[in-house]
This record gives sequence, C-alpha cells and structure tokens, in this order.
Amino acid sequence: MTGRTIVITSGKGGVGKTTATANIGTGLAMRGHRVVVVDTDIGLRNLDVIMGLENRIVYDLVNVIEGTCKLNQAMISDKHDYELFLIPAAQTRDKNSIEPEQLREMCAELEKEFDYVLIDCPAGIEQGFKNATAAAQEAIIVTTPEVSAIRDADRVIGLLESSGLHRPKLIINRIAADMVKRGDMMDQKDVESLLAVEVIGLVPADEHTVVAANRGIPVVHNAKSSAGGAFLRIAARVDGEDIPLMDMEPKTGLFSKFKGMVGMSGRAYSHA
Amino acid sequence: MRELLRWLFNISGKELDRATEVLSKDTAKQRLKLVLIQDRLELAPEKLEEMKKEIWEVVSKYMVVDDDFMEFEVRRLDDLTVLVSNIEVKDLSDLTPEPAI
Repeated sequence: MTGRTIVITSGKGGVGKTTATANIGTGLAMRGHRVVVVDTDIGLRNLDVIMGLENRIVYDLVNVIEGTCKLNQAMISDKHDYELFLIPAAQTRDKNSIEPEQLREMCAELEKEFDYVLIDCPAGIEQGFKNATAAAQEAIIVTTPEVSAIRDADRVIGLLESSGLHRPKLIINRIAADMVKRGDMMDQKDVESLLAVEVIGLVPADEHTVVAANRGIPVVHNAKSSAGGAFLRIAARVDGEDIPLMDMEPKTGLFSKFKGMVGMSGRAYSHA
Repeated sequence: MRELLRWLFNISGKELDRATEVLSKDTAKQRLKLVLIQDRLELAPEKLEEMKKEIWEVVSKYMVVDDDFMEFEVRRLDDLTVLVSNIEVKDLSDLTPEPAI
C-alpha cells in the first residue's frame, strides 16, 4: 500500500491549520481509510488537544526521529472506532531538533501502512515549514478571507511552487455569510482571483467549531453543524469525490433550506 | 445633492452613506492586488523602480511612450509565473534614426 502524504499549511498562524488537519483526518477515517495525523509544530503542539488525546501522550515525534522509541509506540489511537492515529509533536524541544530528510523518511515509512498521512505544519516559513513540506507530495493551504491571511497564503504558494509542490489546494476558513452578503468580507471568487489556486473547501465561521475544540471532539463528528458538514465534504473531495462547492448563504437560509429538503423528502416518502 | 437624493428616494442618511461607500471587501482586494505584486517579485522596491526605468528607457528609444503610465503585474498561471508590463504608447512611429550611408 502506498498512501498519500498531504501537508496542511498556511503561513499565517491562527487561521485553522490544526482544526483542518484534525477534521480532514477524522473525516477520511470515517470514510473507512487508515489515517495518521502528524503534528510537526514542535514546541507549540496543539493537534493533541484539538483531538482530545492530550492525556495519552508518552512518546512524540522527536523521540521517533532520535530513535528513543519505535514508530508505533508514538502513535496514539483515536478514541473513536476508526483507524485514526496521532503522532504528537515534542513540546519541550525546538524546530531544529529534526531535519527535513528525517521527516521524509518517517512519512515514507508511514505511507506503507496508511492510506493518508496528514502533516500539521507550524505557522511561519522557517525550519518547521521546511521540515513539514519536504515530507509531502501534496499540499492544502488554509486561509481566512482577510488581507493578512491571504497575503501569507500567497507567499506560501510561491514557496511551495519553488520547492516542487505544485497545484496546492485551498481551504477558505471562517467565512461569515452575513458579512459576505453586505460586502464586508471577500468571497470565494475574490480569494480565487487573487491567489489563482483551486478551492477545495469553504468553511463557515461556526460556533460549533469552538465548542468542538473545548470538548476535544473534532467538529466533523457533528455532521449537522455547518462547519462539520463542510469538513466532511472536504474529506470527500480529498478522497477524490466530485462534490460541488456550496454557496455560502446566511445560516438561517441554509438551515431553512435544509429543513425544506427534509420536509420534502418526508412528504415524498409518505406518498410512496 | 445629497438632500435631493434623500428626498427623491426617501432613504435615510445612513442608508445613503452605505450605498455610496466603497465596499470594504473591494478596498481589501485592491490593496491585496498591489501587495501581492510586490511580494511575488521578491525584489526590493528600489530595484523594481530601477527595472521600470530601464525598461522604459529601452522602449522609449523606439516609440513615444507615456512617462507616467507603466504597470507591472506578476501573474501565476498553472505551472509558471509571468511578469506582465503595460506601457502606454503615445506614438508608434519609428524613432530610430535612418542609418547614415
């Protein structure tokens, strides 16, 4: 088996890389794949808390690289019934403790056993970024519809290009439909025209994402939430399914549409 | 004029402000466009000016071009990045001197 190694990156911090990694990873596992997510944000790890696995950490990424433990000893199994594992970052070390080549070797090893290896990249474009991107064959860039995040995303796209990671895919996170509607937030078309990369997902700003982080249960577990649904669709697209991007509508609109659909199918059923 | 508009369309001052104001997302887009050009070039601003000047000098040897209007844009296509420059041409007639016989 040869899995795909995908790096999730952004340039700017705080746009939702870790949340995206946890949710796409979980989404792919829910689809029946064997998935491992790797936190490469050494010194500032967070993927463990987003997934609710912080109490189970014994060994970490640097231990594996340095050979103090075996690869499978550092893999923490997710709480749920999926084939989902986390390799946490070391918290008390720095980004220079590993080399790009070492991470690449580790991921090559993981690809033999897993369908998907997702790498959560640290913010910035320094050593940690170089480590994380060197190991991947594909890249997903997370941005928000804000000038600073888009500027940094553009910079990262350029850097990925020059290191041979062509055609990265873009996730636009935290879209506030009401702001888009009144012209106070850039929409998909605006961002696409600036960055000229393919959009693979639009994630609405959703309170459920915050609640999910509080609980340590990725929001994809709540498929009815707008962000959870969006991440499930992203996982499906990563997996090769052709699902059209949904227009971002105000939450009430989407909700009533949903209710309408349910109502309609209910009627159709009673007729049958 | 504002008062007339307000009277004609019977809208409040606030709504009128809103309608005539530039959308903040358009301001964001416009600003980003310029910032991204600079970023993608990875060229210091003074180097960019130098290049502009040199290109202008070369082109103006052969045709009459506007000294103000010159744009640079870096466009990212699928697998390549291109530099596009727009220069306003005032007169296309050949300026090169006839070779002396």
